[in-house]
Amino acid sequence: MPNYATALDPVFQALADPTRRAVLERLSRGPAATMDLARPFGMALPSFTQHLSVLEGAGLVRSRKEGRVRTYELAPRRLAAAERWLAARRARWEKRLDQLDDYLMTMKENEG
Amino acid sequence: MTRTEAALPEVVKIDPTLDLVLERVVDVAPELVWKAWTEPEHLKKWFTPRPWQTVECEIDLRPGGVFRTVMLSPEGQKFPGTGCYLDVVPGRRIVWTSVLLPGWRPAPPTPAPKDANDDCHDLAFTAIITIEPHGKGTKYTAIAIHPTAAGRDVHEKMGFHDGWGTALDQLVEWAKGQ
Repeated sequence: MPNYATALDPVFQALADPTRRAVLERLSRGPAATMDLARPFGMALPSFTQHLSVLEGAGLVRSRKEGRVRTYELAPRRLAAAERWLAARRARWEKRLDQLDDYLMTMKENEG
Repeated sequence: MTRTEAALPEVVKIDPTLDLVLERVVDVAPELVWKAWTEPEHLKKWFTPRPWQTVECEIDLRPGGVFRTVMLSPEGQKFPGTGCYLDVVPGRRIVWTSVLLPGWRPAPPTPAPKDANDDCHDLAFTAIITIEPHGKGTKYTAIAIHPTAAGRDVHEKMGFHDGWGTALDQLVEWAKGQ
């Protein structure tokens, strides 16, 4: 575990707070909008959204905004990491094939 | 069925969450595309995304034959990679893999990279290149297929092995104990 301490620090910090743990428990039942998440806590909205930012910063939740409503859901970290991994592979292949296409034009000119 | 699907062996099942399919149409003859993929002096010119370079390339174009490259990083460090061809259909298709050495000998397992996004590690993959005439030019497809474990090792060690639910439960328990 110690090798991964740095990567997990924000996660543990996020989980060290009871409000944030309660939010995660709520989100484990499905996505929810900011206002719905905030309702049970009787807390000023700016303080509450601060908690949501901490959770999002730790990669535990993700949000999307539709109109004026921001909806939060649990972020499967592993899936997100896999998506990044594949995107990096794709970028590499795209660049490789761009170089191939350029080189093919050079080959064509040299043969022509 | 499109022509590209026709050129792809039936046994290949693409998983969009793991695999890449890139298709290009170029205004050059299929013979040139084939040459660029199969002759070392040509392949070296384009194969490695710049600023990296391919400084060595060895090709024995037959099933089980070697496909070896040495990449040079901008910092001057060399990264050799040796795989072998699995399938060669002249002018049409090349399949090679990084997980088998020449003669189909299994490659020793490599340690997981520190960073799953590390760009200098191709890790385990099989690549399928198909080439077909397209009007006056060529359509070629590059498919990279990856093992399900790719990029997952690091995260498994972090405790995310049983999907999200278990990991969350464990972390919540841990945090409550602090």
